[in-house]
Amino acid sequence: MSDGPLIVQSDKTLLLEVDHPQSKECRAAIAPFAELERSPEHVHTYRITPLALWNARAAGHDAEQVVDALVRFSRYPVPHALLVDVADTMDRYGRLTLANHPVHGLTLTSTDKAVLEEVVRSKRVAPMLGARIDADSIVVHPSERGRLKQALLKVGWPAEDLAGYVDGQAHPIDLAQDDWHLRDYQQEAVDGFWAGGSGVVVLPCGAGKTLVGAAAMAEAKATTLILVTNTVSGRQWKRELIARTSLTEEEIGEYSGERKEIRPVTIATYQVITTRRKGEYRHLDLFDAQDWGLIVYDEVHLLPAPIFRLTADLQSRRRLGLTATLVREDGREDDVFSLIGPKRYDAPWRDIEAQGYIAPAECVEVRVSLDDEERMTYAVAEPEERYRIAATAQSKLPVIRRVLERHPEEQKLVIGAYLDQLDELGAALDAPVIQGSTTNKERERLFQAFRTGEIKTLVVSKVANFSIDLPEAAVAVQVSGTFGSRQEEAQRLGRVLRPKADGRQAHFYTVVSRDTLDSEYAAHRQRFLAEQGYAYTIVDAADLAGPGEVNGPDWVDEPAD
Amino acid sequence: MSPDQPATLAAWLRTRTDEQLGGLLVARPDVARPAPSDVVGLATRLAVPVSVDRALDELDAATLQVLDAVLLSPTDGVPRDELPGLLPDVPAEVVDAAVGTLTTRALLWGDADLHAPEPVRRAVRYPAGLGRRAVDLRVPLPGDVPGTLSGLDPEERGVLERLSADRPVGHLPDSTGGALTPARRLLQAGLLARIDAVNVELPREIGLALRGDRPLGPPRLRPEPEITRRDPAVVDRQAAGAALEVIGRVTDVLTALEEEPAGLLRSGGLGVRDQKRLAKELKIGEGDVAFLVELAHAAGLLDVGGAQRDEWLPTRGYDAWREQDLPDRWAVLAEGWLTSVRLISLVGQRDVAGKAVNVLSPDTVRQTAPALRRSALAVLAEFPPGEGLTSPELVTLLRWRTPRRADRLSPVPDLLAEAGRLGIAVGGVLSTGGRGLLTGGEDAAGDGMRGLLPEPVDHVLAQPDLSLIAPGPLVAELAGTLAVVADVESSGGATVYRVSDGSIRRALDAGWSAADLHDFFTRASRTPVPQALEYLVDDVARQHGRLRVGAIECYVRSDDHGLVSQVLSDRRTANAELRRLAPGVLVSGLPADEVLSVLRTAGYAPAGESSGGTVLTRPKAPSRAAGRRPGSTAPSGPRRMAPEDVAATVREIRAGDAALAARRTEPVRQVPGVTTASTLELLSRAVREGLPIWLGYIDAQGSGSQRVVQPVSLVGGFLQGFDEGRGESRTFAVHRITSVALVESEDTPAPS
Repeated sequence: MSDGPLIVQSDKTLLLEVDHPQSKECRAAIAPFAELERSPEHVHTYRITPLALWNARAAGHDAEQVVDALVRFSRYPVPHALLVDVADTMDRYGRLTLANHPVHGLTLTSTDKAVLEEVVRSKRVAPMLGARIDADSIVVHPSERGRLKQALLKVGWPAEDLAGYVDGQAHPIDLAQDDWHLRDYQQEAVDGFWAGGSGVVVLPCGAGKTLVGAAAMAEAKATTLILVTNTVSGRQWKRELIARTSLTEEEIGEYSGERKEIRPVTIATYQVITTRRKGEYRHLDLFDAQDWGLIVYDEVHLLPAPIFRLTADLQSRRRLGLTATLVREDGREDDVFSLIGPKRYDAPWRDIEAQGYIAPAECVEVRVSLDDEERMTYAVAEPEERYRIAATAQSKLPVIRRVLERHPEEQKLVIGAYLDQLDELGAALDAPVIQGSTTNKERERLFQAFRTGEIKTLVVSKVANFSIDLPEAAVAVQVSGTFGSRQEEAQRLGRVLRPKADGRQAHFYTVVSRDTLDSEYAAHRQRFLAEQGYAYTIVDAADLAGPGEVNGPDWVDEPAD
Repeated sequence: MSPDQPATLAAWLRTRTDEQLGGLLVARPDVARPAPSDVVGLATRLAVPVSVDRALDELDAATLQVLDAVLLSPTDGVPRDELPGLLPDVPAEVVDAAVGTLTTRALLWGDADLHAPEPVRRAVRYPAGLGRRAVDLRVPLPGDVPGTLSGLDPEERGVLERLSADRPVGHLPDSTGGALTPARRLLQAGLLARIDAVNVELPREIGLALRGDRPLGPPRLRPEPEITRRDPAVVDRQAAGAALEVIGRVTDVLTALEEEPAGLLRSGGLGVRDQKRLAKELKIGEGDVAFLVELAHAAGLLDVGGAQRDEWLPTRGYDAWREQDLPDRWAVLAEGWLTSVRLISLVGQRDVAGKAVNVLSPDTVRQTAPALRRSALAVLAEFPPGEGLTSPELVTLLRWRTPRRADRLSPVPDLLAEAGRLGIAVGGVLSTGGRGLLTGGEDAAGDGMRGLLPEPVDHVLAQPDLSLIAPGPLVAELAGTLAVVADVESSGGATVYRVSDGSIRRALDAGWSAADLHDFFTRASRTPVPQALEYLVDDVARQHGRLRVGAIECYVRSDDHGLVSQVLSDRRTANAELRRLAPGVLVSGLPADEVLSVLRTAGYAPAGESSGGTVLTRPKAPSRAAGRRPGSTAPSGPRRMAPEDVAATVREIRAGDAALAARRTEPVRQVPGVTTASTLELLSRAVREGLPIWLGYIDAQGSGSQRVVQPVSLVGGFLQGFDEGRGESRTFAVHRITSVALVESEDTPAPS
């Protein structure tokens, strides 16, 4: 029996013992075909899913490699049935290929007649297929390319798309790498994407996804459409592109609620594209406005369903998806796979963090005891009111103040979900509040002030969850949330993970009311963060030491390793 | 036939040597027990159809073909040296070996000439796949058979060729349309014989004519299967993987059933709802649940239990099993599977009524299952380690080996798949453990697996996300404790446990204290206990037990707290067993009446209170002892007999007596369950001539009796007659008659 670092479980999860001498080697071997599910301190959990196996297959790994990795690193004998299943699943990818036939145009071909026969008979697939050319190829109308891929994945025979892409209208774009350089992993991500044609690059928040986008554009040297979650994030893209590439202000257009510019590089928000008037999408022309050579999807895990439908029609254009996580809370990972493309690059957070590109974070849960009156209010409240009452308890205020006092010199964010509470906090802490109704202009102004250090503390609602860039936020204090959603947690944590100028440690506080629903949700949060491998400590509000006290932070935080 | 040749089977048997007779008894053990009294007895037993069938069933196709050659020859007795000529395509050594096998088993007898005993002829219904003769089928053959055959159209010819191949009987297709199907045209032409409403048979003569110069059909030589080759070390590792998996899964299933047992269906078996529940709980398929539950049952780890015996529960054997080391646990499962009379693959299939067969249902019992498993695996065991057969190849070979049992081979692919899941075989190649199981039973099986399965570990790794990871199979004690304090999240080589507030609460309910839990986690975890886990334990412990629930019989309350305290401290009320629950409230485990009377005796003036709080004014009931409940004692001594029972018993005794006296002739004795010709002959003679007979009879309850019976009819294995001793007309199953003799006296014994 070998003494490998890997234990293969019956439910196709893989447990990797981190402290094992072979663990690094093993991680590298299994990463292509297993999704990292949890990475707490000692044992990481990976999961082998069909999608992960197909991703691996798309990246050029074969079943033999997978089986070999499992058998070689496994501590215990691996059940034969599991290996057979893995090989069978992988074998399903690429039995069908979509390719351009010189005479018939787009065709679906298969080397396996039985498979072709099966999909032809499938109710879901049949309507998208055209005339049969011979025993193993069928004509497909180009407009069905995306929907066909979606349907084929659903019936378990994902097709390999080799039909190629249109080049689009050429436009010179170069990276202006005078005082900076692409990091190694960013270069690898771009190479992986370009070699694969289309696909998704998974990088943690703060790891420079925008630059990966910019580098991909420089590779394509063609007109580009960039889809982002909101206007602020769009402006952020624009700033980055002007700074890091040969593109000038005039070449970049903004297509949002406020402005409708179409330029060689156009940045559009999801919202404006999915706006409907009288039941019709008004801005679909955008996709045909230019002969786009590249389409970049920022935050793919938030891509709204209508855009999936549009994307199905854009299969002849190169597509780059950027995200911090492939996990979608609506479970449409398979649509991302079939419509945007397989995963082309993935770097585990902890690794990038170890390389110093994102700041290490310390997560602290501060528990506040409610006073008797609040407890009574909570006890008699209607079930749907309970969380709000617990999360917005007055007793939290002095504790939040105390937490902020621990970091007098840092840039601090207070994040909450309830507007009343935020306003109250803003007044009590004498800090500006940014929420949904704050105008973009006002936001920009406050962000700028925050960046320069004019403002030390900002109180923000969930608008801050997505894609705004606050490079110097080193402390985040979370006071209420939307029921412990994992995605929200990842986003909020991302707020403090941008690399600090001096490499200081980031702090992520959560203030919760003891013995209430709030602390129950905190348990989800705690689990998520611990699973991500962050140190998580629980402190009673009473024990929260101030700066300079025993167990408290020093006046100046020491740089992290 | 030369004069020195024995004329009968018995005579031939007499000429056999002791070794040869010994060989016969070994090959056909069913005739050896109980020992036959003489050669004639042996010959009689050899002629029993059941025994002949059993012997034929064990022959392979080549041997049966040689037997067919003898059976088909027009004369009884085929000279040994002519046999190879009848089978021109079969190598001589195969023919010799087959003759040896057949004569050893006395399925053929004779030295120079080979004879087939009559029961053997009867047992082989379609020798060489040919039908009965036209005369037996009562069809007139066309005068010119070859001529008629050559005049057939290709469709008709096709039908005939099909019927002349292996099986001369075919199903008549429905002819709803007006046109005659080829088969019906052949029927009209007299080339086929109708044997019942839907089946036709091809007469032997036609079959032979179609076969031409190969009357016995193509030679049925041993097929050369394609051998699967694998590295034995890899096979063993993969088998160990399967073994580990199956042990873990069976444990999971039994743990789940321990927590919530599955109900026993009225028809036996385990309900579909429970099956679905288990599948959901363990995140496995319903088919997997069926396999694992059946396996646990076969290994004696799961059975019907519970107070009403209406639940499927882990057995005591399960507790012992858990303590065993992994190879032994595996061996128990493997042995249980090998010897089980239940065919797991039948679960979920629909029976004739369209109802799916439940897990553990009695409908899956097939007495032939163990033999089938063993014979299939025995074939694999003939190959050296690292070699074996895929399931289709195995079926082909088995079909040749036991063609008469070919209809029973359908479960073989499923059985081989099950063996694969158990780690007995991997892809048709036996593992060392599987080989051990076949040759040396449970112990050898365990030894074959030893060293391949991991040693149990005695620690877990506690992680900040509140998971505990056991990096291997756990020692039983630790596993037992963890089952209380944590929930299993994923199992396999390792086990992932998750501690949640629910699981901690469960531990506290089970009597653990927070300190115990802290101590346990510190001891069990090899990594430092994460702070979050300590907090969780303390949080839950703080909340635990804030509400208390207990049972009491009555309470004493008063708004006057001083009075209540006085009652409590009064020595005279000690008998009321009062204790203070809260200020102003005392409780007692005694009934209200008793407490009232104690308080009254002590000089207080209590009033009874109803549940609504109103005062009860009830006269005090005179005190009575609890006493024993009527009817609770079991009646002692033997049950008294009713008068009719007495009469019946006396009649029974008299009848037996009379029958014994009437028995003048030697009774025909017979082994119960086997009807010999002479019994039947005697019985039918008695029916024909109306003679009373003396019967030794064993009824359905197994009690023996002796009777004198006036027989009326003998039909379908049942004798009907008037039992003179008991004065009743009744039916006797012939197979229950132990002895019979004619009553040869003028006066029948009178009933007394």
